[in-house]
Amino acid sequence: MSAAPFGFFGKIIEIDLTGGDARVLPLDTALVADYLGGRGLATRLFYDAVDPQCDPLGPDNVVVIAASPLIGTTAPTSARGHMVFKSPLTGVIGTSNSGGGWGHTFKSAGYDALVIKGKADSPVWIDIAPGKIEVLPAHHLWGQDIHATNDELTSGFEAGSRPRALCIGPGGENLVLYAVVGNDKNRVYGRCGGGAVWGSKNLKAIRVQGKEKIQIHDKERYQSGYDQALYLLRQAPVTKRLMRELGTAGLVELINVINMLPHRNFQDCTHRPEDLERMSGETIAKTILEKAAGCYLCPIGCQRHTRIDGDDGSTQRGEGPEYETVVLMGPDCGIYDLAAITTANYRCNELGIDTISFGGTVACAMELGERGLLGAEKEGGLDLRFGAAAELEKLAVDTAHRRGAGALLAEGSYRLAERCGRADLSMTVKKLELPAYDPRASFTQALGYMTSPSGACHLRGGYAVSLAFFGGTKEIPRFSLLQSPIAIRNMQNTGILQDSLGVCRFTGYAFGSDPWSRMLTGVTGMDFSVFRLEEIENRVASLERLFNVEAGATAADDALPPRFAETPIVVAGEEKMVSEQAQERMRRDYYSVRGWDSEGRPTRALLEDLAIAPRAGRAS
Amino acid sequence: MAVTVKFFAYFREVFGGRECGVPAAEAATVGALLDRLGDTPQRRAELLAGAGLKPHLVIMINGAPLPPDRPLETALKDGDVVAIFPLLGGG
Ligand code: SF4
Repeated sequence: MSAAPFGFFGKIIEIDLTGGDARVLPLDTALVADYLGGRGLATRLFYDAVDPQCDPLGPDNVVVIAASPLIGTTAPTSARGHMVFKSPLTGVIGTSNSGGGWGHTFKSAGYDALVIKGKADSPVWIDIAPGKIEVLPAHHLWGQDIHATNDELTSGFEAGSRPRALCIGPGGENLVLYAVVGNDKNRVYGRCGGGAVWGSKNLKAIRVQGKEKIQIHDKERYQSGYDQALYLLRQAPVTKRLMRELGTAGLVELINVINMLPHRNFQDCTHRPEDLERMSGETIAKTILEKAAGCYLCPIGCQRHTRIDGDDGSTQRGEGPEYETVVLMGPDCGIYDLAAITTANYRCNELGIDTISFGGTVACAMELGERGLLGAEKEGGLDLRFGAAAELEKLAVDTAHRRGAGALLAEGSYRLAERCGRADLSMTVKKLELPAYDPRASFTQALGYMTSPSGACHLRGGYAVSLAFFGGTKEIPRFSLLQSPIAIRNMQNTGILQDSLGVCRFTGYAFGSDPWSRMLTGVTGMDFSVFRLEEIENRVASLERLFNVEAGATAADDALPPRFAETPIVVAGEEKMVSEQAQERMRRDYYSVRGWDSEGRPTRALLEDLAIAPRAGRAS
Repeated sequence: MAVTVKFFAYFREVFGGRECGVPAAEAATVGALLDRLGDTPQRRAELLAGAGLKPHLVIMINGAPLPPDRPLETALKDGDVVAIFPLLGGG
């Protein structure tokens, strides 16, 4: 055996749940050089292992989780994992990232990536530690929520050797199409329904444990990048104090100032400021917040540990709500009740469903209800109106269990609206619910939703909102058709880099690629110059696209719901919408910026240029 | 006859409230308004750095950002709503 490379272990675990077999495969150093780790590496391993036409809830779907070379170092926030699968909600690539400590502990078990195939006959969980990979029966865990499962698998160990677990709750077991995989207790791989894929494989949990250490090639070089990163994190107000003080919900009132905060299933962006004030980050900090905390190795600390005291003297504790949850389960549903949103958020965390898709689906159901478009669905118990705060918590519980109205909500807004004959009332791209920023208030954000590989996601599609806030010379005009394609490509690439490094988006408020490049080169001894990192970003973006094209996605799927092209909102005194022509122009320019053809397909020449090899094991 | 100024995040503590009105005559431009708001060294340090705007400061007039060129010379008029906050993030 050759000596372990620097920064990683050179080992991939592959488990076939159909027969329960596990094997350890070598990780090719060239793959790390070309795809880095996290999202990049997971995407490549996934692409090689899966048939793009597979049924997302069938045994042929594959789940890949990967760590990065930085994980195992002290680099700020470098404890995240990235999971890739084919999404049952969208039918395209599902790609999701999570903080917490699991990613770090997984790597400490001595592995770089985990590939899961097949389907177990009955519920199982996987136990991983140095020298041990076991697939074990999970009957005793099935049916339990994420908190109880996590407690069961991780308690009773000595401090310092405590394992970490990923698991699904009833949401995943019941194949809710936007079920999450829970990480620790309240972190999640949130979007695209990874939890349902686990449920379809009868996979309840993965526990990891270990103390293996990676080798660092050049400590001084690593340290110079690290020092630079820490210095910059302490300079920028966002990372220095604002995230800790206000959490992401610090945005609530500000997003309203820029007329971007959705209302009633994105019908408009009009709110009474006093209503929003009751649920702002400032108010949360003064009322329900017990403490702010950070994921492992995070000096930023946006987590909200909160408490809700009921009128009946009861007390509930949990985490959240963060910005997306506040808005999508709140004003987007016509609800301005912080306690109702927070308790529903607690249930979503425990039972394992995505708060963004849940909020967006409830908002859609409310609009269908108000327009009298629910027919047979009413008999299923679904009859909602905007503002129904008292029903939110029960709806979350029923959705996770697919009970009553929950059975309809569990399918997501697109399928619900489609069965009512009004698919146009689903606020989705590629059937994934929009995050809480109205695309009419920023063409750049609109294009980000349109071209995100996983459907409407601000974390994969690019987060243009920060651009709107920079002000001064750094500002990218919100309504520039010309500049949006390049601006959003750059934002998307930054996201690919952060996800592939296993670090948090919010570091981006303090610094860009340079400190990461130094840390990474120092750790691995490989050339990860900023230029090489850009190549990796472009390679991963085109590989994700290639998968989607092979899965059947076309340019027509890169479009906003009709509402955003037909009904204007008022932004800074002017009517704004994203017309079909504007979408067409941005789409065309974006494809060209990416080097894709006019239908949005990566060309053969581009694939060669980016050194994207054909699927392993198949000559193309 | 006034310009309304709204504060967010910790600026509410620094400037002693959520909102204040400044007579339009004393806020003909953004520069004049910031001069007026920066009435203590601490407040001034939150808004201005040398002759320009402090980095990481965001100012929006009626929901629109300041122009990149000579932002301090941007004219204000009666009824304008000016939002002032440290750069925030989230998502
Ligand atoms: S900023 Fe928030 S989400 Fe990011 S690593 Fe820190 S605590 Fe976790």
